[in-house]
Amino acid sequence: MSQYQFILRRLLQGILVIWGVVTLVFLLRYMTPGNPVDFVAPLDAGQETRDQVAADLGLDQPVYVQYFDYLFGLIQGDMGYSFIRSQPASSIIFARLPATIELALAATIVAIIFSIPLGVISATRRHEPADYAATSFSLVGISTPNFWLGIMLILLVSVGLGILPTSRRPIGFVPAMEMFIFQLEIQGIRTWIAHMILPAVTLGTYFTAMIVRLTRSGMLDELGKSYVLATRAKGVPETLVRYKHVLRNTMIPIITVLGLQLGTLIGGAVITEFVFNWPGLGTLIINAIDVRDWPIIQGSLIVIGVGFVIINIAVDALYAKLNPKVSYE
Amino acid sequence: MIPERLKASLKREFHQSLLAKVGLGLLILILFLALFAPILATHDPTTSRYWDDQGNSYPPLGITYDTEIAQEGERVEYTVEPTTEHLLGTNNVGEDIYSKFLYGARTSLLVGFFGTGLAVLMGVPFGLIAGYYGGRVDDSMMRVADIMLAFPSLVLAVALIGVLGAATIPIPDPIVMAGFAEDMPEYMILPGSVTIVVALVTWVWFARVARGEAMAIRSEEYVKAARSMGASNRRILVTHVLPNSLTPVIVLATIQVAAIILLESSLSYLGFSGTTLSWGYEIQQGQAYLSTQWWIATIPGIGIVLAVIGINLLGDWLRDSLDPNIEGEHGG
Repeated sequence: MSQYQFILRRLLQGILVIWGVVTLVFLLRYMTPGNPVDFVAPLDAGQETRDQVAADLGLDQPVYVQYFDYLFGLIQGDMGYSFIRSQPASSIIFARLPATIELALAATIVAIIFSIPLGVISATRRHEPADYAATSFSLVGISTPNFWLGIMLILLVSVGLGILPTSRRPIGFVPAMEMFIFQLEIQGIRTWIAHMILPAVTLGTYFTAMIVRLTRSGMLDELGKSYVLATRAKGVPETLVRYKHVLRNTMIPIITVLGLQLGTLIGGAVITEFVFNWPGLGTLIINAIDVRDWPIIQGSLIVIGVGFVIINIAVDALYAKLNPKVSYE
Repeated sequence: MIPERLKASLKREFHQSLLAKVGLGLLILILFLALFAPILATHDPTTSRYWDDQGNSYPPLGITYDTEIAQEGERVEYTVEPTTEHLLGTNNVGEDIYSKFLYGARTSLLVGFFGTGLAVLMGVPFGLIAGYYGGRVDDSMMRVADIMLAFPSLVLAVALIGVLGAATIPIPDPIVMAGFAEDMPEYMILPGSVTIVVALVTWVWFARVARGEAMAIRSEEYVKAARSMGASNRRILVTHVLPNSLTPVIVLATIQVAAIILLESSLSYLGFSGTTLSWGYEIQQGQAYLSTQWWIATIPGIGIVLAVIGINLLGDWLRDSLDPNIEGEHGG
């Protein structure tokens, strides 16, 4: 099987999984006790109004009709109307999406910047103080709940030192950049960065810790292999051996595990948003569950599930690209 | 369950590994606090309004904090002093922080152990059947697993709690029942929905590991021998495949206890657990008082970190000594 056939097959599998995701999400709502009409109809509504509301929501139809209605609606981008704010669920959800994506990307960048050098140092200076420091950091990092870490950062940095804001996101990345480009105004970017630092560190720490562990153990494995000895014997400088040969081979398992751990990143984003009152999908979904706003819950779950499937396919493709030995099965 | 050879290697590694001992020490400490919480606690953790004369909550021993009180219609500066009655002070609703900490350990460990147990019971048979039979059975069963894996576990957990509601199960407290502690709650509160939900979102990892093992084991000579002697699939699964696939399951279960404790604390931080006797809930309560009474949110977090570090260290040691290749999702 060629690389393209492999990717195509993963895409088809992905579509199947997405269909499963949609079905599961539909079932979740169907299994939930409580009649949606109670949330939508006015409290003093008579039976006639309630029947009307039920008909509007399609609840008077048999289940399978509701299911196919929902499925075909989704294909056209229709996720229904929010029970609470009578706006289309899709527009509410997509308005929140940039905040979550920015947070997740910023955290990933934080993780990559800090973790790979730490991991390399840790592996190449095994049993030295630098290694002990890096391994202790990573152990504490994977063992700390990120919401508590966020609160401790707020306590130390915002409350203690009085720098950096504790919550919210007054400006998005795109408007901040627009301000800079069209008005040469740097204030927007500064505000964006100031509000991004604590949430990104909060969310990124777990990943930094995990990648340090992976890089360390991966590099230790690779450093013991005979090709390293051969490369050194040829007179290749040690820096080049470490970064070009060893690190490159270490990246392959790291990418695989990172792909599997993306769920933790998105899950972590949900709770990090809650800590920092960050207006993303996470806070949206949690508030929606509190008030049982099912179209929002379902839509957000589907967006997250679909995003997750797509990212995983991308990771698989990248993996296939990086590792010439991979078998496309 | 674990072959002799592995037992020897486990022992050797354990003696060499200081970290494994630290991990075991931490876990035993937390277990001790949780188990004997009714005896160790100084106050009923569900009793509130332990205030000073002015209605302020106490700080921990050795710490004071400034606040304002009303005196003859005016606001005046007032310094709140700690009391030996409440070692770690009292929280925003006036509950004893130390006693709540002990009971929080109980909730974490109860959910950690019950949740993991439930996930093993769901995931292992599923994975063994899929891996053993292979082919179409495997394909369709693993597609179900893929769908579960398409959701981040915390997100799915939050949505499932939305379906189930935050139900709790009271379990009679054996220590109080036996008369060893007076004036303590007679029931332990197991957050039932949370336990079920954490199992529902983590069983897939056990299914994947068990499946991999079953696929390897089904082509072993002893399985073929058993089959040629006419053993039924069911018998082979129970007597051969299951016991031989347990090593990686045990390692994964250890790591998952830590992941589930993190997940439980996240859910209770978000207010979905249905009990107030939880470290996560306590942190949420304390967050609003960070600028004056930072210890309310800080102390329970230390408990979570110590418990999870302990279990992770043990998990690392098990994995290094038994060396199975497994992946699992950490919570957090």
